[in-house]
Amino acid sequence: MSTPSQAKTGMIDFRGVNKWFGPLNVLKDITLSVEPREVVVVCGPSGSGKSTLIRCINGLETIKDGDLIVDGQRLGDPATNMTLLRTEIGFVFQSFNLYPHKTALENVTLAPIHVRKIPRAEAEQAGRDLLAKVGLADKVNAYPSQLSGGQQQRVAIARCLGMRPKIMLFDEPTSALDPEMISEVLDVMVAVAEEGMTMMVVTHEMGFARKVAQRVVFMDAGAIVESGTPEAFFSAPKTDRSRAFLSKILRH
Amino acid sequence: MIWQQLQSLAGSYPLALRGLGMTVMLSLISLVLGTALGFGLGILRTGGNRLISSVIGAWVDLIRGTPFLVQIFLIFFILPEFGIELGAFTAGIIALTNLAACFICEIVAAGIRSVPTGQVEAALASGLSRWQRMRQVVLPQAMRIVLPPLVGQYVLLIKDSSVVSAIGLTDLTRVGWLVVQRVPNGLLVFFLVGVGYFIVCYPLIMLARRLERRMGQAHGEVQL
Ligand SMILES: Nc1ncnc2c1ncn2[C@@H]1O[C@H](COP(=O)(O)OP(=O)(O)OP(=O)(O)O)[C@@H](O)[C@H]1O
Ligand SMILES: [Mg+2]
Repeated sequence: MSTPSQAKTGMIDFRGVNKWFGPLNVLKDITLSVEPREVVVVCGPSGSGKSTLIRCINGLETIKDGDLIVDGQRLGDPATNMTLLRTEIGFVFQSFNLYPHKTALENVTLAPIHVRKIPRAEAEQAGRDLLAKVGLADKVNAYPSQLSGGQQQRVAIARCLGMRPKIMLFDEPTSALDPEMISEVLDVMVAVAEEGMTMMVVTHEMGFARKVAQRVVFMDAGAIVESGTPEAFFSAPKTDRSRAFLSKILRH
Repeated sequence: MIWQQLQSLAGSYPLALRGLGMTVMLSLISLVLGTALGFGLGILRTGGNRLISSVIGAWVDLIRGTPFLVQIFLIFFILPEFGIELGAFTAGIIALTNLAACFICEIVAAGIRSVPTGQVEAALASGLSRWQRMRQVVLPQAMRIVLPPLVGQYVLLIKDSSVVSAIGLTDLTRVGWLVVQRVPNGLLVFFLVGVGYFIVCYPLIMLARRLERRMGQAHGEVQL
C-alpha cells in the first residue's frame, strides 16, 4: 500500500502515534496518511478513540509519542506555531459550539477579523456570502438560540470556511441533529468536499461516505483495525469487529 | 431640647457632606482599582498555571478569612514598623482595594469556569490567541454570571468602607462619632449616618436586581 522508499508527506500524517489518558491507551500506534483533497471517513464504536484521533490534529489533545505532521509541520515541535497552524484547520463539533452571544454573521467573521486581520467590511461581505452558500442568507443576524440544530451546524461550517482552511475536521457533525435536519448539513459537507477540501470526518453516515469519501477508516479500542474504500468496507468488511459494527449501524 | 439638637445637627451639615464625600471617594477609587485587579486575578486564577492559581487562592482565602478591621490595622500600624509610611487615606485605599479584588477575583473566576469548555475549544480551533479567547468569547459569556454578584459585592464594600474610620479617616461613620460628641443623641445621629450609606447603596441594589432580571433574556451577553 505504501512505498517505503519515498517518505511522502501527506496533508495529515500520523506515524506511530500513541496517546494515553492516564492508564488508558486511547490511541494505539496510529499510522495514517491523508492526502491533499482526500476525504477520509472515520467510524467505529463509542469510546474507540475517533474524537481523540481528530482532536490531536489541531492540538485540542496532545500526543505522547510518535509523530504527527500536519501541513508539513510537526506538532509538538518548538518551531511549529500551533495558533497559526490552527487557522489552517477548521473543526466542526458535534454540539456546534457556536458563540451564543454573537449573531450568525459575527460567529463567522470573528476569527477572520481578529486572527486573519481582514478589514471588517470585507470580512462581513465574505461572511454573508458564506452564509448564503450554506443556505442561511436570511439568518445573518440571528443568534444561535434562534436557529435550529441543522442551521446552527451550517453556521458552524461557514465559520470554519471563513478562515479559508486547508483542512476540515468533523466530529460527528450530524449526531446531535433531529433526523430531518441531517441531510441539510450533509449536503453542505458534500459541497465542501467537492470543492477539493482535505477532510477527516467522524461519522456513521454511510451515504455520505459512499458519496464523497476516498477512504473509510474503522477504529476499535484505540487502534485502526481496517481501512479501505467505502465500497470495499461496506460491502466486504474484512474483520469480525468491523462486521459486528456494521451490522449494528445497519440495523438503524 | 430636640430643637436645639436639630439646630446643632444642621450646623454639622458641612462636616457631614465632607464625610459623605470621603466615603464616596474611598469607595469609588477602591472599587475601580479593585475591579480591575479582581478581574486580572480572576483571569490568572483560571489561567491554567497551578502555582499562580494556588498562590492567588491562598491570598484570597487569607483575606476573606480575617476581619477587615484587622487587615486595615496591619496595613496602617504594622507596615510603618518595616519602614513603609502610609497616610491614612492611602492605607484605606490599599486595604479596601485588596479586599474588593479578593472578592471580585472569586466572582470572576466562577464566571469564567461557568463558560462551557466547548466555547474555548471552538475559539482555540479557529486560532484566536489566549487574550482574544478571553476578550471575545469567554468574558462576554462569563459576565452573565459575574454581574449580579459583582454589583452586590459593591454594596457590601461600600458598607465595609466604614471601617476606615478606625484609622482616623473622616468618612461618614467617623463624622457620626464626631457629631455625637456635640449632639448627645446617638439614635438620631447614626440614623442619619445610615440614611447616608443607604442613599449611596440603594441605586446599586436596584441595579443588581435589574441585572438579575435581565439575565434570562440575554443571548449570553449582558448589555447594561
Ligand atoms: N479527557 C479525557 N480524560 C480521560 N479519558 C478520556 C478523555 N476523553 C476521552 N477519554 C476516553 O478515551 C476513550 C476514547 O474517547 P473518544 O472520545 O476519542 O471516543 P470516540 O470514539 O469519539 O467515542 P464516541 O463515539 O462516543 O464519541 C474513551 O474510553 C474515553 O472514555
Ligand atoms: Mg467522539
